[in-house]
Amino acid sequence: MLIRLVSNSQPQSEPIRVLVTGAAGQIAYSLLYSIGNGSVFGKDQPIILVLLDITPMMDVLDGVLMELQDCALPLLKDVIATDKEEVAFKDLDVAILVGSMPRREGMERKDLLKANVKIFKSQGAALDKYAKKSVKVIVVGNPANTNCLTASKSAPSIPKENFSCLTRLDHNRAKAQIALKLGVTANDVKNVIIWGNHSSTQYPDVNHAKVKLQGKEVGVYEALKDDSWLKGEFVTTVQQRGAAVIKARKLSSAMSAAKAICDHVRDIWFGTPEGEFVSMGVISDGNSYGVPDDLLYSFPVVIKNKTWKFVEGLPINDFSREKMDLTAKELTEEKETAFEFLSSA
Amino acid sequence: MVLVTGAAGQIAYSLLYSIGNGSVFGKDQPIILVLLDITPMMDVLDGVLMELQDCALPLLKDVIATDKEEVAFKDLDVAILVGSMPRREGMERKDLLKANVKIFKSQGAALDKYAKKSVKVIVVGNPANTNCLTASKSAPSIPKENFSCLTRLDHNRAKAQIALKLGVTANDVKNVIIWGNHSSTQYPDVNHAKVKLQGKEVGVYEALKDDSWLKGEFVTTVQQRGAAVIKARKLSSAMSAAKAICDHVRDIWFGTPEGEFVSMGVISDGNSYGVPDDLLYSFPVVIKNKTWKFVEGLPINDFSREKMDLTAKELTEEKETAFEFLSSA
Repeated sequence: MLIRLVSNSQPQSEPIRVLVTGAAGQIAYSLLYSIGNGSVFGKDQPIILVLLDITPMMDVLDGVLMELQDCALPLLKDVIATDKEEVAFKDLDVAILVGSMPRREGMERKDLLKANVKIFKSQGAALDKYAKKSVKVIVVGNPANTNCLTASKSAPSIPKENFSCLTRLDHNRAKAQIALKLGVTANDVKNVIIWGNHSSTQYPDVNHAKVKLQGKEVGVYEALKDDSWLKGEFVTTVQQRGAAVIKARKLSSAMSAAKAICDHVRDIWFGTPEGEFVSMGVISDGNSYGVPDDLLYSFPVVIKNKTWKFVEGLPINDFSREKMDLTAKELTEEKETAFEFLSSA
Repeated sequence: MVLVTGAAGQIAYSLLYSIGNGSVFGKDQPIILVLLDITPMMDVLDGVLMELQDCALPLLKDVIATDKEEVAFKDLDVAILVGSMPRREGMERKDLLKANVKIFKSQGAALDKYAKKSVKVIVVGNPANTNCLTASKSAPSIPKENFSCLTRLDHNRAKAQIALKLGVTANDVKNVIIWGNHSSTQYPDVNHAKVKLQGKEVGVYEALKDDSWLKGEFVTTVQQRGAAVIKARKLSSAMSAAKAICDHVRDIWFGTPEGEFVSMGVISDGNSYGVPDDLLYSFPVVIKNKTWKFVEGLPINDFSREKMDLTAKELTEEKETAFEFLSSA
């Protein structure tokens, strides 16, 4: 365990404690700098950054620590690198759980779920024991939805609403595809929705999305006039984008994943802009879209005062209904398989 | 129009996002980003392009991926030359210089032919200083002053080491200097550096009261930091290199803050520090209106003199070796 104390002589606001797990890995490498330079929590928010990874990665983590020092980031009051949960989870304000067991060749889905249940049960229990009760937990490591649910179930004293998983990358990818098709920038596209599981059954829905064309806001279906593309190739392109990037780069999409994590966490912290909603995997309890309770499912949400709320009352057509049910079914099966292991883990 | 070469590589991967999100050229400056790499890397580059699209960066008006110099260097305002031939096992220094002279002669000629005459060229790929000089010599219609090489990473590392030693943040340390070659002969000099301690600005030597550390371990730590990171990470220091590139380019674009100077590898012509002319050597500079000027009149003690001459000697030798190849490349 290595601790580097870097203190500032000027008085500043109270630092927040932010944990990133899988800190020696690729996604963290693209993420840590953005956290440290103020673009997530704001230019006035000092941070104590805690980096957790498994023991064999401690040398690599030391290298990451060296680089963060060399980046000379004034908001980073302290950077702590550790392989111990009791150090990592102590007094946390934010936990970004990037680390998980990756799928290896020959690994069955069951094996992957079993290995990850073990990790996220332990981390959920550590959150329960050591973190602040107000901690916001963002799960990135796949299978994100089920890992998030596992962690939440293992941290009963922390409100379920504090747990979310990342579907913002898929959300950003959907915006980008619409933008490319229409020749605008992705920022001119808003209110896309990613429903369900962060997997190949995710449903990218633009029935309620809007695009700014020549200064006017138009519905995306109306602007594109290509329903078959929107129900066909668009959906599969977004679903398979991750695999396409891996195929081209030979590595996974760390840069865009890190950007999506920043967007997700920033929106939790500062709220969503007026008139816009975003996609987040959250606990489905109380939703009005016919999704079974007690699932960690991606919904359209608005956020205010660090609290998210379902966007209510969006009409759901038959095409959407089918897709939303399909991904709910997969999540229910994943949950059942995972919970077999939860008691024995 | 901003070009990044070696765009499919590690440093670019850490850099491109920062360029695209406005933190280098400002939140109001739209960018056409051009990505150049060698033909075998085009698939990987396509993946990088996909990710940049997925990042939804409003300032990126267009992203062009190419392996062709005539496309890459056209109408450039800024060229960040990250790509170079890396040293392979068994490679002699001569071979490395020869391979890189070929690359940077060609890129210099492309700059001369296709880029705007006002282009700012920042060379990162090693051996940075000599690659930069090669490119400049091969682009005679572009002012020599437009060419610089990165020593900001070493500069930032020096600040960080002083900050760690004194228990302050690196931003409380200023006016460190990196003299010479971006290599193990670089000389990190804090004789003129200042640190903010309890609200007051103090000279670093005075604050530390540990001359032997400042002349010994401090110097070697900074010189060898790159190797230390590679040893720990098993990969080179892309994150901190990208950050240093952003700092270097931002300072060219917006100027250096009042009372502060930074380190940049620039053409040595006209310097008052006894460094031979016609070398690409790192100096303390201030920047205004996108133009750098040597910081003049800093007293140089014997210890510094020796170190500055040593790195000048290495650069002269590198230049001579490189120029043997320049005519035949």
